[in-house]
Amino acid sequence: FIFDFFNARLHFGCSRMQMYPLEMEGNSNPKTTNKPKYSKFTQQELPACKPLLTPEIVIAAFALIGALFVPIGLASLHASRQVVELVHRYDASCVPVDDKVGFIQNSRTDKTCTVTMTVPKYMKSPIHVYYLIDGFYQNHRRYVRSRSDKQLRYKSAAHLTSDCVPEGDTADHAPIVPCGLVAWSLFNDTYTVRVNGVVTQVNKKDIAWKSDKNNKFGKNIYPSNFQKGRLIGGATLNESIPLSEQEDLIVWMRTAALPTFRKLYGRIEKDINANDNVTVVIQNNYNTYSFGGSKALVLSTASWIGGKNNFIGIAYLTIGGLCLSLAMGFLVLYMVKRRNFGDPSNLSWNR
Amino acid sequence: LFKVATECSVVLCCRVAPLQKAGIVALIKNRTDDMTLAIGDGANDVSMIQMADVGVGINGQEGGQAVMASDFSMGQFRFLVPLLLVHGHWNYQRMGYMILYNFYKNATFVLVLFWYVLYTSFTLTTAITEWSSLLYTVLYTSLPTIVVGILDKDLSKSTLLAYPKLYGSGQRNEKYNLNLFVLNMLEALWQSLVVFYIPYFAYRQSTIGMSSLGDLWALASVIVVNMQLAMDIIRWNWIIHVFVWGTIAATVICLFVIDSIWVLPGYGAIYHIMGQGLFWLLLLIIVVTAMVPHFAIKAFSEHFVPSDIQIGREIEKFEALNQVNHSEIPMRTFS
Repeated sequence: FIFDFFNARLHFGCSRMQMYPLEMEGNSNPKTTNKPKYSKFTQQELPACKPLLTPEIVIAAFALIGALFVPIGLASLHASRQVVELVHRYDASCVPVDDKVGFIQNSRTDKTCTVTMTVPKYMKSPIHVYYLIDGFYQNHRRYVRSRSDKQLRYKSAAHLTSDCVPEGDTADHAPIVPCGLVAWSLFNDTYTVRVNGVVTQVNKKDIAWKSDKNNKFGKNIYPSNFQKGRLIGGATLNESIPLSEQEDLIVWMRTAALPTFRKLYGRIEKDINANDNVTVVIQNNYNTYSFGGSKALVLSTASWIGGKNNFIGIAYLTIGGLCLSLAMGFLVLYMVKRRNFGDPSNLSWNR
Repeated sequence: LFKVATECSVVLCCRVAPLQKAGIVALIKNRTDDMTLAIGDGANDVSMIQMADVGVGINGQEGGQAVMASDFSMGQFRFLVPLLLVHGHWNYQRMGYMILYNFYKNATFVLVLFWYVLYTSFTLTTAITEWSSLLYTVLYTSLPTIVVGILDKDLSKSTLLAYPKLYGSGQRNEKYNLNLFVLNMLEALWQSLVVFYIPYFAYRQSTIGMSSLGDLWALASVIVVNMQLAMDIIRWNWIIHVFVWGTIAATVICLFVIDSIWVLPGYGAIYHIMGQGLFWLLLLIIVVTAMVPHFAIKAFSEHFVPSDIQIGREIEKFEALNQVNHSEIPMRTFS
């Protein structure tokens, strides 16, 4: 067995099917034969590969996967560890009273809140500022449909608000632009960032996808009749800025896949050193209290793997390790119980 | 009569009228659940041919009435041997595999959609765009199925004729039975869990949009399902290569086309997500993780508990090394 194994015969060959039909006895006259014209396809004799799983292939496959996955897993874990991420949940601490829903819905309360964080490691720019929301089902079926993409792009389509009910038209039947629950629930907390007491500008340009800004949202469409109803769902929009430049709206309207999600608020374009104090003044306007959601502020550096996520590294290491152990297991099994290939004495009627 | 007849291996009836011929076939057919085949060449065989499960008519000396009443017709009696041993065996293997595979591939896709429903507050949102869901059965997975169902063979003609007892695998329901079905469904369950949850855990608290994640799920499902087919294909000719790899390429093209229509919510999603390294890493680990159980089970069962068909395949490949003993067949066959 060992000799064969190290010979590494890979029985993976392609073979030509050398089967041409024999002439039937007594047939040679072309006028009297009914035999159809021979072709490899109709006689099912196309040349073909017949790969067979031999022990060498099985062990080599598992070992190769293991050898490939373990380094990838280690590299991913390393990249994830390099990402510096600060997450600070502020919805509970920013509303000290018991009646949180009433506090948020009251337009006269002061919703300013200050949050301080200490940076554990050096953070290289650009540092992304996200808001993290939990318990908000942007993937709810009725919510996802409640928008009008045609209206966002073409002025002439402003009246197409049938999908946007109940936020389609005002009480006097004038169309709301942009209509629908997705736009109506636009996030409206704001963050002012100070690093060691110095105000650091958060760049809110270019946070939305270029494809959305150029092709999905019109350059000559302006918001109208927005958030003018009885129920305010979120932010109001500046009516003199066209939709293609309302980047917060564009980012929000790219509905998130899962109920816990983060969206890009802006970028800080300066480095932050370790042990710096970052103070963020938050305008805690957005109501996540009536449905039991939560809000958090996230500052994070970027890497090729995205944000901080150990999962992919751990998954690769697990699968790589599993495959290596399967390779070992099969090696032991093959050495313990060996059988010859293609031996007719193994056929069930010969045993 | 029935008891005596079933004790014998061959029963000869002579001077039989047509109705009695049919009666004999009916006797066996009604009292057992075996399949009956009747072969005949004359007008007096018509009732027997129609009574049997499979009727074979010979077009020859006694005219064409038997042929018109039959399911299969041939020129000579000896063609019955390849009809049963070769074509019958191939058809059984192809049909059995195709039915099981079709259940499996649809189950995998639907289960991926199902797991997502758990995270949309139980409303029936599909992350995978409606167009992709439609095209899944029509384009993304149909053509390889058809081509494999037509062209794949587990054993060659000469092996099947040389070892007639290989036909017994069909009689013992080896390719289509409850155990195989349950195994298929378990594999569908496992693979759908892998396809859904690996991206879920990777993207759980990130900025990922619904359309981007849906694209990843759609592409991963299609690749996994086609890889499963690829692992089970026994004979790879150029047509099968074209259709299997071509379908995956067609899926990618369709995803690009669907995400280039600005009216749809997924506009631009695939361009955005394919530019991230995480997407490709996830695709690789999803495909490998989904395939590991199937591969391990296949490797184990083919080597340690081989079926006769498996040994037949090995005989074909290694016939230069082992002497092939042709078992006795009284009729001269053409190959």
